Amino acid sequence: MVKLNSRNPLNKFYSWLPISLLIISVLNEFDFNYLQLDYFSFNFPFILVFFFTLKDFKYFDYFVVFLSGLINDTVVGLPLGISSLSYMLICIATSYFRNITIRPNQIKDWFYFLFIISLINSINYTILILFFSYTLILMDYLVNTFFTFLFYIIFVSIFKIYLKGVND
Amino acid sequence: MAASRDDFIIAIRSAFLKKSTQQKFSLLTLLFISIFTILLSSFDFKVVRLIKTGINEIVYRSSFVVSIPENFIKNTFLEIVDYSTFFNDYLKNKDELNELKSSKISSEIIEYENKELKELINDYISSSDKILAKIIVDHNSPFLKSIIINKGSKDNIKIGTNIYDQSYLVGRVIEVNFKTSRVLLLSDLNSNIPVTIAPQNIQAIITGTGGNYGEIKYIKDTSIDKFTKESIIYSSGTGALFKSGTPIGKIKDTTNQSSDKFIIEFFSDFSQLKYVFAEVITKTEIENKSLDTSTQGETPSITPMSAKIKILEDELKIVEDINLKFKGENDHLKIKINDLNNQIFDFKNEILSQKEKIAQFNFDKKETEFLKMNLYYGHKCRRSFFNTKGFTIGTNDYKKCVLNKGRKN
Repeated sequence: MVKLNSRNPLNKFYSWLPISLLIISVLNEFDFNYLQLDYFSFNFPFILVFFFTLKDFKYFDYFVVFLSGLINDTVVGLPLGISSLSYMLICIATSYFRNITIRPNQIKDWFYFLFIISLINSINYTILILFFSYTLILMDYLVNTFFTFLFYIIFVSIFKIYLKGVND
Repeated sequence: MAASRDDFIIAIRSAFLKKSTQQKFSLLTLLFISIFTILLSSFDFKVVRLIKTGINEIVYRSSFVVSIPENFIKNTFLEIVDYSTFFNDYLKNKDELNELKSSKISSEIIEYENKELKELINDYISSSDKILAKIIVDHNSPFLKSIIINKGSKDNIKIGTNIYDQSYLVGRVIEVNFKTSRVLLLSDLNSNIPVTIAPQNIQAIITGTGGNYGEIKYIKDTSIDKFTKESIIYSSGTGALFKSGTPIGKIKDTTNQSSDKFIIEFFSDFSQLKYVFAEVITKTEIENKSLDTSTQGETPSITPMSAKIKILEDELKIVEDINLKFKGENDHLKIKINDLNNQIFDFKNEILSQKEKIAQFNFDKKETEFLKMNLYYGHKCRRSFFNTKGFTIGTNDYKKCVLNKGRKN
């Protein structure tokens, strides 16, 4: 069996996988539009950023997260900086949560995630409406938040397997 | 209590300022940069605009490359769906094509008339040129509906340029980069389009819903009960945002009219756009030269007269085309009439022969009836030694007697 060490390119790729996934997801915008499901949308970058910053994953660079936010704004067509602000707020929230948590619990994390994304989506909505005069449907934001919350637990199971692989 | 507050402050400070070994920036720094970026993007500075254009160019191209696998899956999925409904679509399209062919010529006439009238009003000649553009990014956010096309300021695209799918309006350009542009689709919530509803000729404003359809936001006429399913919506050109007379969609549901909410079904399916047309308009002012200037031997530029002559020539060409078409149709109809006359003649002959057959049949029937009765009553009517009141066989009286069942009166 080939042992993965830090110089191994495969190991490097494996370590940088989450941040690469974040960049790809903001460039690609997984939207599943072609499935033609009404009201279905979720925010994959939120899940990714929340989980890996909560786990203080050393290859998850805050600056790259910030740049991903800028890319996301460009692709989606939002004013530059909105998504970066959202991602940075998630990072701050997870950092704070990590500091105050003595015994981590997945269910607590899950509901903390719901609280954080609801707060951030509210801030987003407010900024876009008040400062940029966008017309937005609140229901879309709520549905997006709900599905992101639901999908969190599924993705967390996958990410945990990944983290186990990296640590081993 | 104080200890708990200290813990909170320490946790917050740590969250904002503490950098891990791998992190180059603290979260507080990045947070301030984010806020600063938002503020900058809200102001329209030239430097910011240029930087933004540069970022857009790079990101759009990267997004296009990264989206290739997803687009492949998406296209495969759509192709499978298309194949499953292929035959039905074919029949539907065939019917539509026939209808469209017949209405095309009259549309062209109206178009030319319209052009002529507009030029008379505006004092300029607008020549439009539709350029084909490929959609490189169509990842609609759940909140904003827009697409990125691969044409930009290099190709004379400007903010407000109308974008079409075939001849249907799909949106307008809201952001122009050097080689790319962002198009706000009609289905976006922020999209407001002044329209005319035909055939009722009602002015309205429609807006996107964020879904695949639009709805009437404002209607000028209050007599909305006139709408039917066939009511077509096209751009009115009011406000000069969109070119007038471009088809947009039709009213989908007229059953819910009491709630004053009308759903507009767009002619174009925005989720399946691959290529679009951008209409680049160049305006040429009509110079106010009098007719006698053309006699001075100068090369004539575009004058109202020459523009009108050109329009009339175009109209003439169309009329000639129509005449040819009508002539062709006339010949075709004549042949059809001849065929029908021949058919009528054949049918008449057939009817005649059938009548003869019926007459023969009736005669035979009567004869058979007489022979049958003759067997029963012939002896009563026949003249013989014992029946002196009878009749001679073969006479009319005899026949009459047999048919009267042997009664002689």
